Amino acid sequence: MPKEEDKLSALSPRDRQVLKEILEGESDPNKIAERLGVKEVSVISSAEGLAERGLVSLDKKVEEVYSLTEEGARYAEIGLPERRILEIAGSEGVPISEIKDPSLKVGIGWLKKKGWATVEAGKIKPVGDASPGKDEEILAALLFQGETSGSALDQEALKLLKSRGLVESRAQKSWSFEITEEGRFSLRMAEESSRSSSGVLDYIAQITPDMIKNGVWEGRYLDYKGARYEVRPYDVALPAERIYPGKVHPYQRLLSRMREIMLEMGFSEIKGEIVQPSFWNFDALFQPQDHPAREMQDTFYLESRAEIPDYASVKEMHEHGGDVGSTGWGGSWDPEVSRREVLRTHTTSVTIKYLADHPNPPVKAFSIDRVYRREAIDPTHTPEFEQLEGVIMDEGLSFANLLGVLQEFYAKMGFEEVRFRPGYFPYTEPSVEPEVYIEGLGWVELGGAGVFRREVTAPFGIDHPVLAWGLGVGRLAMLRLGLKDLRLLYQSDVGWLRDAPVSARM
Amino acid sequence: MVGARRDEIMARMAMMGADIGKSNAEDYVDVEFFPDRPDLYSSEGVARALQGFLDLKSGLPEYQVSPGEIALRVDPSVEKVRPIIGCAVVRDLEFSDPAIESLMDLQEDLHWGLGRNRRKVAIGVHDISRVVPPFTYFAADPSFEFVPLDFEESLSMEEILKRHPKGVSYASILEGFDRYPLITDANGNVLSFPPIINGELTRVRDDTRDLFIDVTGTDPVVYKALNIVVCALAERGGRIEAVRVERPEGSLVLPDLSPARWKVDVEEARSLIGFDLSAEELASSLERMRFGARALLGRELEVLVPPYRADIMHSWDIFEDAAKGYGYDRLVPVLPKTVTVGEPHPLEVQKSDLREIMVGFGYLETMPFTLTSEKVNFEKMRRLQDDGTVTRVLHPISELHTMVRTSILPSLLEIFAINQHHPLPQRIFALGDVLDGGKTRQDLAAASIHSGADFAEVRSVVDALFRELDLNPEIVPSGDGAFLEGRRADLLVEGSRFGSFGIFNPQVLQSFGLDQPAVGLEVRWDRLWPAGRL
Repeated sequence: MPKEEDKLSALSPRDRQVLKEILEGESDPNKIAERLGVKEVSVISSAEGLAERGLVSLDKKVEEVYSLTEEGARYAEIGLPERRILEIAGSEGVPISEIKDPSLKVGIGWLKKKGWATVEAGKIKPVGDASPGKDEEILAALLFQGETSGSALDQEALKLLKSRGLVESRAQKSWSFEITEEGRFSLRMAEESSRSSSGVLDYIAQITPDMIKNGVWEGRYLDYKGARYEVRPYDVALPAERIYPGKVHPYQRLLSRMREIMLEMGFSEIKGEIVQPSFWNFDALFQPQDHPAREMQDTFYLESRAEIPDYASVKEMHEHGGDVGSTGWGGSWDPEVSRREVLRTHTTSVTIKYLADHPNPPVKAFSIDRVYRREAIDPTHTPEFEQLEGVIMDEGLSFANLLGVLQEFYAKMGFEEVRFRPGYFPYTEPSVEPEVYIEGLGWVELGGAGVFRREVTAPFGIDHPVLAWGLGVGRLAMLRLGLKDLRLLYQSDVGWLRDAPVSARM
Repeated sequence: MVGARRDEIMARMAMMGADIGKSNAEDYVDVEFFPDRPDLYSSEGVARALQGFLDLKSGLPEYQVSPGEIALRVDPSVEKVRPIIGCAVVRDLEFSDPAIESLMDLQEDLHWGLGRNRRKVAIGVHDISRVVPPFTYFAADPSFEFVPLDFEESLSMEEILKRHPKGVSYASILEGFDRYPLITDANGNVLSFPPIINGELTRVRDDTRDLFIDVTGTDPVVYKALNIVVCALAERGGRIEAVRVERPEGSLVLPDLSPARWKVDVEEARSLIGFDLSAEELASSLERMRFGARALLGRELEVLVPPYRADIMHSWDIFEDAAKGYGYDRLVPVLPKTVTVGEPHPLEVQKSDLREIMVGFGYLETMPFTLTSEKVNFEKMRRLQDDGTVTRVLHPISELHTMVRTSILPSLLEIFAINQHHPLPQRIFALGDVLDGGKTRQDLAAASIHSGADFAEVRSVVDALFRELDLNPEIVPSGDGAFLEGRRADLLVEGSRFGSFGIFNPQVLQSFGLDQPAVGLEVRWDRLWPAGRL
């Protein structure tokens, strides 16, 4: 390849085209783009590159441009409300009470402000000639010529119209280019060298199969069907069309990672029904039947009643404390209350049923599934959310073992610093609230844990300690994904999903 | 009130089980306790617990109850409506305004928590100097009149339930009874109409010195509530005086502040906590939590439970307090030795295959809510409601969430609707639960929207999906109203329908506010692998 060409190879064909246009006196990128049949953004990008090399000088301006709002456009056609009232009033005036249309009423204040009319004894009386104001001129101008630079318009009147919501503005960037001496020289050099050195007849945009089969190639130069061609070089730094890959939901990636952690720690995954009888959701967990969490305000109840298993031992536990030395809740336990079905309020309903079916040690089980609470939607509450729950049942397990499992779990989740505070959950004793340390936030409560009460385990013949913990995953997702609004997880913004990088570490 | 430095208190309070609110004020901080500890609903109760936790005082707090002459007779007529009552007198109190407020707060918190919104427990506090003992607790005719608190005229009990703000709030508790509970003095003057409102006569003022306290309810927890109130007042310097409650079956002298006596097994405590604590360490840990505790010969502890504790049902409750008293921060976490092999649930394995396939087609995953409405799930989709399969919630919180979805596709169209400002084509899918006749089933739904969307596109996806799953379902014309006639198909396996796909009926698109053609598919994939079902 000729040496002369090398020196100037930084000047791509696009650069040359743009430079040529500028040389010919065109300074508006939009017009250049139109003439070259390319996008304005690539002209600007090319011009910026040329400016960096000192081949063109470039002037960037930002100005406010104004246009009519929907309401403004309407008034530009039919007249401002105050103008229309004047038309109705004629020279005689008109009683206020006759101006009934709410869209007209707003004009009464303006009539007075503009000094076009007085209001006396409930009657609007025109004053003076009410000649067209600057504001009306602007409305007419904007209607006629569309978006217009603010510099050409009366500022006072613009401000007024903007405050009435009749015009709106946006910032518009504008550019203008001029070629420098060096630019002229480079362009001449580039054109001469490409003409003289390679003898290229024409540029090729797209390589065809036949060119590959039958052409003689030398770099990007091609002898084909008796002529010499050059494959047009591209400015590889120019942006291309955006494409969007299919992706797993960022929240699902977090859930999948949590599943992996649980599997790595030797837990087996369990699942259960969304609809549960109160028996498994509450009673089996020793929640008294008058417990506030069972009320309509907090739980989604269904019309349906379910069959429940033999409940004698659960009833006995609630009423008298069974034979584990508990006082029980007293009162009387009603199986009918227990049959009422709910949308599960926690995955613990699935866990306790699983333990009741598998009462022999060891058991290590977990679930990550959706649960339901009767909560109004706001940025930090949704009526359904995912909960992770893990349990271990084995001979000789202790509260200190629970703390050990929690520490391991949170460390795997990436939280090195964990502390344990006393907690309270109706079905565990002792109970604990793990907190993790997060830079910038301090100690953040992340879940709850405890040892299942004997009142919970005994009625199902579970005779060894059950360590259990759970956490609402949404809260963790907010921390990890930097979300301020939990709803975004469920009411997906496609832009957010497209922009969230797959590589973001959970 | 505690006698310790503020920062020390804050730091330790968290380890006692309190949620400390954020506060920059010098002399004020919001602290929340768990609902199992109503004795911590008053500043007096918190101070008492903190004194133990900070080693300023330890062991069982002693409260003296002096004998008294005052009696209250319980008439058998209350048996049906509100049978249980506990009373006490507390004298020599100094009531500044904040103290009255603190007492009112405690009362309200107890009503809410322990009292289940007054149904189970309601508390009345009276200036005893305005009334003459002995008192009577009986069920009166609803036409009985007196001047209720905050009123100037007298109202019948019936009117109170209709007109007095408290009456309106709590009338439901007395629904269905033809006589209402009432406490009167020797002259027939009214102290209280429990659980609704006190009489104006016995209003507590800042010059009140001696209180009469009544706690009524339906459960023996009434006596705990009484203890919590009188112990808090005693912490404030009050002198507790006994009241004789004469019940039809015999008399009680209240309040009963004798501690409950438990014998617990040291070894059981050690093995539950998982830390090698001696009997003495356990006992001193409990004393810091204001229990009385001493090691007995053998391997037992004798534990005295303070009369205001309402949460001790089982020996493990005591062990938890021992662990708290010792300090959760001093326990050493130990990984359990239990060896097991983890197994993923088959449904999740299948889900992850489906996810891989759909992502490979260029579809974005979404995770919409499962709660929806009949309008979205059926009407907008032009699908018929089959009442036999719909799971409706009884008290929906908004008209948007009245049922659990039976199909995922409507949610995908809703997602398209809120994303019209983003470039097309948009291709999305969701995997998740639907409810079918109350049973949890697994669906996969996918949809694509852009100006060129047509049947061929979704047909290609369906074909490729089942090729990847190594399945060959039958494809026949469909009657699914969501899709356009002639460009819709059902998927059958062994003759029964498990999914459908097609180009959406333009009327469906219009009802979701969409103005571009779209195609979709939905399959109930757990039908394909019955072994993977719940």
